Amino acid sequence: MNEFWTDIVNFLNNENIWILIRAFVLIVMGIVFAKLISAALIKLAGNKMDNHRLMLLKRGSYYLIFILFLISSLRELGFNLSILLGAAGVFTVAIGFASQTSASNLISGLFLVAERPFTIGDIIRVGTTTGEVLSIDLLSVKLRTFDNLFVRIPNESLIKSEVTTLTRFPIRRVDVLVGVAYKEDLKKVRATLDEVANKNPLCLEEPKPLYVFLSFGESSLDIQYSVWAKRENFLDLKNSIHEEIKNAFDENGIEIPFPHRTIYTGIETKPFPVTSIDNKQPDK
Amino acid sequence: MSFETSEQSTWWGKFKLEIEQNKEWHVGPLKLIVRRLKNEWQIAHESADDFDSTDFSWEIKSTDQQPGSFNNNSRYILHDTAGQLIVTPKLADRPIVSRPHIPFNLAAGEEIILYVSTPLWVELEVGSTPLKSIAIQRLSDTWFGPSTLEGDFCYASTTHCRLNFEDLPRRSHRAITPVLIRNKSKTTLLLERLNLPIPLLPLYTSSIGQLWTPLITLTREKDGDMAELKIDDKPPTETDITEKISDARDKTNTNVLFRAFNTVFS
Repeated sequence: MNEFWTDIVNFLNNENIWILIRAFVLIVMGIVFAKLISAALIKLAGNKMDNHRLMLLKRGSYYLIFILFLISSLRELGFNLSILLGAAGVFTVAIGFASQTSASNLISGLFLVAERPFTIGDIIRVGTTTGEVLSIDLLSVKLRTFDNLFVRIPNESLIKSEVTTLTRFPIRRVDVLVGVAYKEDLKKVRATLDEVANKNPLCLEEPKPLYVFLSFGESSLDIQYSVWAKRENFLDLKNSIHEEIKNAFDENGIEIPFPHRTIYTGIETKPFPVTSIDNKQPDK
Repeated sequence: MSFETSEQSTWWGKFKLEIEQNKEWHVGPLKLIVRRLKNEWQIAHESADDFDSTDFSWEIKSTDQQPGSFNNNSRYILHDTAGQLIVTPKLADRPIVSRPHIPFNLAAGEEIILYVSTPLWVELEVGSTPLKSIAIQRLSDTWFGPSTLEGDFCYASTTHCRLNFEDLPRRSHRAITPVLIRNKSKTTLLLERLNLPIPLLPLYTSSIGQLWTPLITLTREKDGDMAELKIDDKPPTETDITEKISDARDKTNTNVLFRAFNTVFS
């Protein structure tokens, strides 16, 4: 029994255990301080910065303070930091090979943060995915799609592929592609389209609507009519303008044609014989 | 603002409604119905699309029509016992872009006064609780700026600015703003579109109930779209102003450089 107590007293008297405890306390203190200081910084800068910068400030300050405490704790444990850093260099190469994807995402993340093609809260389209940016992290960007799904896109693929930011500029253009029958008067068609745009309050008066004659189509004269809207009203205008154009064309007797096919029998053959028949039941 | 009298001289002011009473306003293209119930107010409104009247008249009457029959109707729960509705005319909440009938050139060193009429909003309050702000006429949106990247959202005026005050029709649902344009730059100013900072203006009424804003002075010192803006702190002198009806929506500094003209320079 006495031996046991002696062991415990020796163990507690041993310098090493206190060093370990000090190092552990330093790390815990580091976490607490880093959290407190980064939260305080966010509160101080809350009104002056956008979400993106606030996030950078929070993470930057947190990791900086934490790493300082971690270094002190390693010193406390008796590590020689210059040797450790040298060893870390060798390790980095090894780890770099082992975790190529993560490292590539990490570097891409840094580029994304520096380039700022979008910020938190923007709506972006990557490939076929469109959604609101929830966060821009070191490895990935998180999106919330409009059908309320959470999508994680690796930073590497964002850097490599085409990303469209839908909420960058204040106004957007709605392109209406419409075909009218060959018999229609294009001046009248254009005047009707202008009147529709003029009457719709969501359609901006300036920039003026754009009228482009696209082509002599197979069955129709193809026209592009582009109108501008405030970004927030884009969908409303897209819905209303198509409906109004259809109604205005109906009112003015302008035909939106279906594909037409004229069957031609060729120059060598006679015309198709056409027979008019009575609308009566055939004899059985 | 005066209390409702037997002979109401303006369409705004304070109105007393009994429980289960409906009141109907006709001001310009707007038809507005307000119904008071016990602890509840109902507001319904509609605006005619093609309204092109130069008529000054307006009408307030009791009605049996129910707000529920309108597309635009809203209900407000309020424990209010006084039953007093305050109707206030307000100016637009965004700048308004107006055009002269035919664009004109203002030579260097010249100045001119234009008259612009802009439609009003109706603000409804019970006690001190604001209920709703309704545009008498829904104006089309427009963009005023040098490119699609830079500029401001404005409303596009459906009427033209006039050179002669007498040419401007008097309408009870619109306010008149006199604008003095001074071209102090060395080039001619071709005036095609004029942007007016309507939210910065207060509203006055004349003795006949025509609403006015103070004179705006736009001084163009250099080439370009920008003008120095000055808003008079006294009512306009063109008419006999009797009362200030409402303050400006936006009370920020009014002595600023303002993008007022969208022009092609000759």
